[in-house]
Amino acid sequence: MTFRQSHLALPVAVAIMAGCIAPLAVLVAFSFYEVEDFDLIPAFSFRAWGDLATSTTDWFLIGKAVLSGVATTVFTALLGFPVALALTRLATSAKGLAIIVLLTPLYTGEIVRIYAWRIVLGGEGLVNTLLLGLGLIDEPLKFLLFSPFTIGLVLTYNNLPFMVLAIWVSAEMVDRRLIEAARDLGARPVDAFFRVIFPLTTPGLAAGSLTVFALSAGEMLTPSLLGGTSGATAMALVDNLFGTAFDWPLASALALALLATLFLVASAMAGLLLRLKGARAVIGRA
Amino acid sequence: MGRIGLSVLIVAAGFLYLPLVVLAVFSFNDSALMAFPLSGFTLQWYRELAQNDNFLSGFVTSFLIAQPVGILAMLFGLMASLALTAPGFRWRGLFAILLLTPFLVPKSVLSIAQAMIMSRVGFERGATALILAQSLVALPFATALISAVMVRFDRRLIEAARDLGASPWQAFLRVLLPQIRPALSGAYSVGVILSLADLTIAMFLAGRTQPLSLMVASEFRRELRPDLNAMQVVVLALTALLVGLSEVYRRRRLRRLAAEA
Repeated sequence: MTFRQSHLALPVAVAIMAGCIAPLAVLVAFSFYEVEDFDLIPAFSFRAWGDLATSTTDWFLIGKAVLSGVATTVFTALLGFPVALALTRLATSAKGLAIIVLLTPLYTGEIVRIYAWRIVLGGEGLVNTLLLGLGLIDEPLKFLLFSPFTIGLVLTYNNLPFMVLAIWVSAEMVDRRLIEAARDLGARPVDAFFRVIFPLTTPGLAAGSLTVFALSAGEMLTPSLLGGTSGATAMALVDNLFGTAFDWPLASALALALLATLFLVASAMAGLLLRLKGARAVIGRA
Repeated sequence: MGRIGLSVLIVAAGFLYLPLVVLAVFSFNDSALMAFPLSGFTLQWYRELAQNDNFLSGFVTSFLIAQPVGILAMLFGLMASLALTAPGFRWRGLFAILLLTPFLVPKSVLSIAQAMIMSRVGFERGATALILAQSLVALPFATALISAVMVRFDRRLIEAARDLGASPWQAFLRVLLPQIRPALSGAYSVGVILSLADLTIAMFLAGRTQPLSLMVASEFRRELRPDLNAMQVVVLALTALLVGLSEVYRRRRLRRLAAEA
């Protein structure tokens, strides 16, 4: 057999199969195993799935993961659109710089960002000191740190650059003459946005939403380190079942249920966005 | 550009950099408490950091783990991109989906599944496991970077080289490689950066290895300390230096390519 360029896919595929697909398959197998005396015994038991099905906590936590992913997606989209549209107006020379400015916060470590927000939002942090100094509040705001608010804020912060980037790429491809034509024909800027720009940038919005959802829904560090009492996540529970409780079957079943739910929600979300009129126009043209 | 657009960008940049600026400011603040008002300038925390052997060894560990991650991400990203852009590759769609899975599956789920399989087959968790897992997560990013450049490459140049008697290997080395070198260096830095930034994978797979992010995370649960701030600033500065260097390199390559053309 002669060598062809496409054969290079083989080692890569093997690596992904071994490092990614096989562990997930093993998760499926383990979810049917039994545990006896801290030993994992091959079996075909539905005990773990039964436990999972009847546990309200588990489904509540899975629902919470979906909610936090969707909320982060919506927040980043609302904030990302104005930023992405403003970026398209920059001079070409400034765009390279803008990319660096946008991406550098992503290079900081997960723990660095979490650490930094704790300093900003704490009782004697920047925000509270500022608000106290301005006389807007009489005592430090407690909800800023270790609350659902903190989780939402930091997840939005972590994922905003991805959303901006995706929408920006899409918005750069919109023919500016279409917007000018709409304006010439009497559309107000708001109409031009909703009837021309927004429909034509839905592919970018879909790509950004998928990315942000995938990155934020399964996140366990930000909630557990900054969420305080509201920081419980499905993944932290999986971690607990895996490490401390040594209930690998239930840990596997819960992780798989979470994965399947996230996958369904993500496909539904992408499907909905791509069914919009503009997306079909853009994709049909390409 | 309108005034509204400019203010949007300024507010956005402020939001993105606010936590990092605050972090840096407190690393120079002359007080053990991280609270306003500021008490004065000091380099004490950086001095303490330089004398802390634990952190220094964590630093070296993180750095040594990040290098192979960058190289593996680059090599596998290159192979994946070559396959993706190969003419007449029948499994392209399927292969692309496969490449996306390490990105779409949450890191936490993936690492826990990997930890389970490793302990079953007796593969010890540690630096090797960490390097392999981090490379896998970096692979989709590296592939995206390299193939974005490769799809714009004119394949006829390769065909011309082949017609003139070059072997496939020579055609790759002399025609394609010079064009994609900036993208390769980008893929390498993405691997290094993702490895340095990671905490989730390390939590599950590091075993007895102690990269910096794990050390900080365990300190973090106890208290905030200014010397930790100083360390974060150092890590940040080093990462920025890396990004800066690879950007300078990329621009110089592009200029040279333009000059040759």
